[in-house]
Amino acid sequence: MLITNEVPDGAGHEDPGHPERPDRLIAVREGLEDLALGDELVTVGLRSATRLELLRVHQGAYLDELGAFCYEGGGDIDEDTYATYDSWPLAQLAAGAGLAVVDELARRGDGVGFVAVRPPGHHALPDRAMGFCLLNNVAVTAAALRSAGERVLVLDWDVHHGNGTQSIFWNDPDVLYVSCHQWPLFPGSGVPSEIGGLAALDRIVNLPLPAGATGDVVARAFEEVAGPVIDEFAPTWVLVSAGFDGHRDDPMADFALSSGDFAHLATWAAGLAPAPGRLAVFLEGGYDLAALRHSVRATLSAVLGDPSANEAPTNGGPGSDQIGRTLRERASTLTLVTAQRDAEEAS
Amino acid sequence: MSIYPRTIAVGFDGSPDAVSACAWAMATGRRLEAHLVLVHARGLLDRFDRRDPRALFGDVVSELATRHAFNEARLSWHVADGDACSVLLRCAEAPVFADLVVVGSRGRDEHAGMLIGSTSLQLAERSAIPVVIVPSTTSEYHEP
Repeated sequence: MLITNEVPDGAGHEDPGHPERPDRLIAVREGLEDLALGDELVTVGLRSATRLELLRVHQGAYLDELGAFCYEGGGDIDEDTYATYDSWPLAQLAAGAGLAVVDELARRGDGVGFVAVRPPGHHALPDRAMGFCLLNNVAVTAAALRSAGERVLVLDWDVHHGNGTQSIFWNDPDVLYVSCHQWPLFPGSGVPSEIGGLAALDRIVNLPLPAGATGDVVARAFEEVAGPVIDEFAPTWVLVSAGFDGHRDDPMADFALSSGDFAHLATWAAGLAPAPGRLAVFLEGGYDLAALRHSVRATLSAVLGDPSANEAPTNGGPGSDQIGRTLRERASTLTLVTAQRDAEEAS
Repeated sequence: MSIYPRTIAVGFDGSPDAVSACAWAMATGRRLEAHLVLVHARGLLDRFDRRDPRALFGDVVSELATRHAFNEARLSWHVADGDACSVLLRCAEAPVFADLVVVGSRGRDEHAGMLIGSTSLQLAERSAIPVVIVPSTTSEYHEP
C-alpha cells in the first residue's frame, strides 16, 4: 500500500524559465498513475507544518523574514532561489505533507509513504533558503520523529549533497544522514571527512562520486560504506530524500543513472526499514520531466516490492576507486577526531 | 612574513557592488603588488544555463584593470561549485590561499534589508581571514 499526500496545486510558486517549476509535480503524478495502484493508493489531506514544527529545524528569525518577504511579493533570494507571494503558504504545506504521511503510516502500521511536494527542501539551512529550497521538508519530518523518541535514517540520493539536512542534524546522535552525490558540484559540501559533530560522530556519511558515475558504483558506495554504519545505527524509521537529477537525461548534473538504477536503490532502501510502515520517500530534485516520471514510477514500484522500470540498470562508470578513498578518509577522520575529543575530555 | 596581503580574493558575480569591490581590490592590489583572484561561486542555475563567468564578465574585468592600471598578469579566476559564502570561506585554503577577501555589500540577487541572503554579513561573521566589505554607496569605487 502506498500512502501519499494530496498533491498541491503549486502554480503560485513559479518563476518563468526556472527549472524548479509546477510541471514537475504533474510528471510525478503521471508516474504515480502509471502504477495503477487502485485501492492500494491512499491519499492523505494536506496540512501546513506549524511554527513549532518548523522551529525544530529552522530559526524563528528566518521564518519571520521569509514569510514577510513572500507577503511583500517575493523575488530572488539568491542567484538560484526565488519566492513569490504564494511561496510561504505552499512551503508550509510542503513541510507539513511529510508529517501527515508519516502520521498515517504510524496509524496503520503498514504501507510505504511518498511525499510529493515542491519546493524541494534538502538545501534549506536553519537560517536561510538555498538551492531552490525554502523549508527543509524531510528534516521537519525527521525532527518530529526524533522528538517522539525515534532513531531516523535520512538517505539522500539526490545528485547534489543535502547540505541543509546535514547542517540541521550535524550534532544529533539520533539522526543518521547518508548522502551519495556528484562531487565536485553544488553546493560544494559533502566530502567524506564531514562525519558529524562531537556529540554525533559517524552520524554523517558522505559518498562523493565523480561525474559519469553509473548505478553499480552508486549502489556499491551506499552498500559498502554506509551499510555497516546503518546496521550499527539500527534506525526505527527510514526517510529517503529522493532526487532524480542523477538521471542521465537531467540537465542539472552529470551522473549517468537510469530509472532502473533508482529501482535498485529503492529496493535497497526498503530493506533498511525495520518494519512495515516505517519508510517514506520525499521528492527532492529532478528536472527532466520524462526522466522524473519514469524514475518516480520505478522507485515506487520497487519500494512496494514489485520493481519495474523502463530502462535497464547501468554499470561501468567511474568512481569505484573513490569508494576505497572514502572508506579510508572516513576512518582516519574518525580516529583523529575521537582522539582529540577524548584528550579534551581527559584534560 | 609580510603583514600585507599577497593574495586577495574578490567575490565576483557581475553585480554593481562586485564591480565596485573589484575596483577597490585592484587599486589596493596594485599598491601592494598582490595577486588578485576573482572568485565566482557556480550555483545550480549557472550549470543549468551553461554560464561561464570568464566569458560573461571578461570584458568588464579587463576594462576595470585598464582603468586602475592593474597588471592582468597578476589576475586569475577561481570558479567553484557552491553558494557564494561557502566558496569565499574556502578561499583561505587550497588552491587559492587568499589572505584577504573583498566583497561588495550586496550580491546580484540580494535585497537590501534582507538578512537571509546576505553573503557579506555571513562572511564577516565566519571568515578566518580579514574581510573587506565595499559599500554600495557609489556605483563604482573611485580612487582618491
